[in-house]
Amino acid sequence: MPDRPKVSVVVPFFNEEESIRPMHAAIVAALTPLNIPFEMVFVDDGSKDATVPIGRELAREDSRVRLVKFRRNYGQTAAMAGGIEQARGEVIVTMDGDLQNDPADIKLFLDKLDEGFDIVVGWRHNRQDKLISRKIPSMIANRLIGKVTGVPIKDNGCSLKAYRASLIKQIPLYSEMHRFIPAMASIAGPRIAEIKVRHHARQFGKSKYGLSRVYKVLLDLMVIKTVTTFTARPLLWFTLLSFPLLFVGTLILAYTMYLVLFTHTPLSLPIAGSGLIFLFSALILFSSGAFGELVYRVGDMREHEFAKLTQKVQFSPGIHR
Amino acid sequence: MIQESKSLQISVVIPVCERYSEATGLYAEYAEGLNALGRSYELIFVLDGPRPKFVTGLEQLIREGREFTIIKLSRSFGESTALMAGFERAAGEIIMTLPAYHQVDGRDIGKLVEALDSVDLATGRRWPRVGGRFEFLRRSAFHGLTAWVTGQQYSDLGCRARALRRRVLGELSLYGDQHYFLAVLADRQGFRVKEVDLRQSPKDRFDGRYRSREYAHRVLDIFTIFFLVRFTKKPLRFFGMIGVSTFGVGALLLTYLVIDRLVFRNPLADRPALLLSSLLVVLGLQVFALGLLGELIIFTHARGIKDYQVDEVISYPDLDAEPLAQLHEVVNEAR
Repeated sequence: MPDRPKVSVVVPFFNEEESIRPMHAAIVAALTPLNIPFEMVFVDDGSKDATVPIGRELAREDSRVRLVKFRRNYGQTAAMAGGIEQARGEVIVTMDGDLQNDPADIKLFLDKLDEGFDIVVGWRHNRQDKLISRKIPSMIANRLIGKVTGVPIKDNGCSLKAYRASLIKQIPLYSEMHRFIPAMASIAGPRIAEIKVRHHARQFGKSKYGLSRVYKVLLDLMVIKTVTTFTARPLLWFTLLSFPLLFVGTLILAYTMYLVLFTHTPLSLPIAGSGLIFLFSALILFSSGAFGELVYRVGDMREHEFAKLTQKVQFSPGIHR
Repeated sequence: MIQESKSLQISVVIPVCERYSEATGLYAEYAEGLNALGRSYELIFVLDGPRPKFVTGLEQLIREGREFTIIKLSRSFGESTALMAGFERAAGEIIMTLPAYHQVDGRDIGKLVEALDSVDLATGRRWPRVGGRFEFLRRSAFHGLTAWVTGQQYSDLGCRARALRRRVLGELSLYGDQHYFLAVLADRQGFRVKEVDLRQSPKDRFDGRYRSREYAHRVLDIFTIFFLVRFTKKPLRFFGMIGVSTFGVGALLLTYLVIDRLVFRNPLADRPALLLSSLLVVLGLQVFALGLLGELIIFTHARGIKDYQVDEVISYPDLDAEPLAQLHEVVNEAR
């Protein structure tokens, strides 16, 4: 086996038979001058076209290519996760298989990582996509994601990203989280850099996304917020969520009490009842939070392990180790 | 008849649950079908609780010099658990499940094994099928519902005769009544599944009537499968949908009531609709919170959950294009 590659380029392909060869050529052309050992992990996400035979040929021609063939189509997050799992390099670069990212940009990413950043994300500043259906929704989504997660990235949708392997291999990737990898990674507190990348219009095949994902993105966002900020303190999170209910319930009950005690109107069952419902509901939410603590205890996600992924230890000059 | 386990090709698992036929006749029929294949095989009977009548038959077979394995479960755990117990013992490359009663013609079971040349799991379909009109309706309703919920069309999930490759077993964990949906679950894991027509046994007659409880169970099973197949990894998608819509209805009603009070001066105090709307709002929130809890569970166990199944890793020269499935098997055996 040759040297352990330093850089792994992970590219998911789903029915991209025209793109896979040009992609390979572009990556090789971009990385060869850098003179570092690298490998390409191509992930076939259950393609029905000639992606696999072509990938197999490529793997035979070029020993740096490994093709990870999925049993069926599992979606882009799974493809990324599968590629990352198989990658052997110290640095993992991910990009789309549709030739919209330019492998020539990889050098910039590697330079940034050398500066000490843990994650470098691309920003398609001259994005070649439709304005109404792609660019504007994505702009709003990015603002929102930045606000909610506290990781202000201008372009979460750009697949061209680079990570330290030791970090990204520990970050859970599932469902449709690939859009939120930096936010998900924020549980480990990484140093994130953002750089401008080139973006090409789609040459082959057709785009696999539409506008219909707004609802999903909103829910995913809620999930990210919950798991990144509050996994270790679910009781706190659910208590926060229960505050509005507590507030409304108390207000209604106080108002009812006031009416009964001071104005001598008869007690209204619907009003008092709603007040109680809100109040009890706050209690149930609080209990859910307690239940969440239980869940965290039996799970295997530990905050201190994430902290370890990015920590730097410094010794004062006089210390004896 | 049974050869050394080294060259063992087929393991036949027969769970003996509530419904079973007389053992010697059943054995003769299955043995005939299996012998015709000309491959080595082993038979594993799993007794799901004490089944004295069946045991009597098995004892007679033993006296006749027949060889098979019997696994006795201390109590009745249900067919899924019985199957799992048998699977754990099975050493063959191909695993078959067969019913402990005459359901399909024993001479046909070889077809299942032959079908495995092109697929990973072959499941039987009794064809041509006898049965009344009502039974036909009931069956179509069940399979129609399953198809609607899982997107997979089967026509005889009740058929217990199946053949599967060993690698399918590694990724199946059956419990409850999931044995019905073995084909569905395998398909979800990305395995190729095919239905194979088998002649129905003339003795396959269900005399009893299904009680309403059974119907309820089947519908709940389908719901479980629906949840397992679609939403296990994204609980908030499921609970969120229900929660948000409940909340929405409640909020709309509440808004209407408040406007009615403020603008049209209709007093709120004697309107039960106020109770209803508050309940809906609160219920929606609770269901949503359940979804969040579910997400928390998934996240805190994410390391053990893998969202995808790798078929093979193709690379030259170091791994020599060895299909990963086989590598997996080596690993499994080492375990």
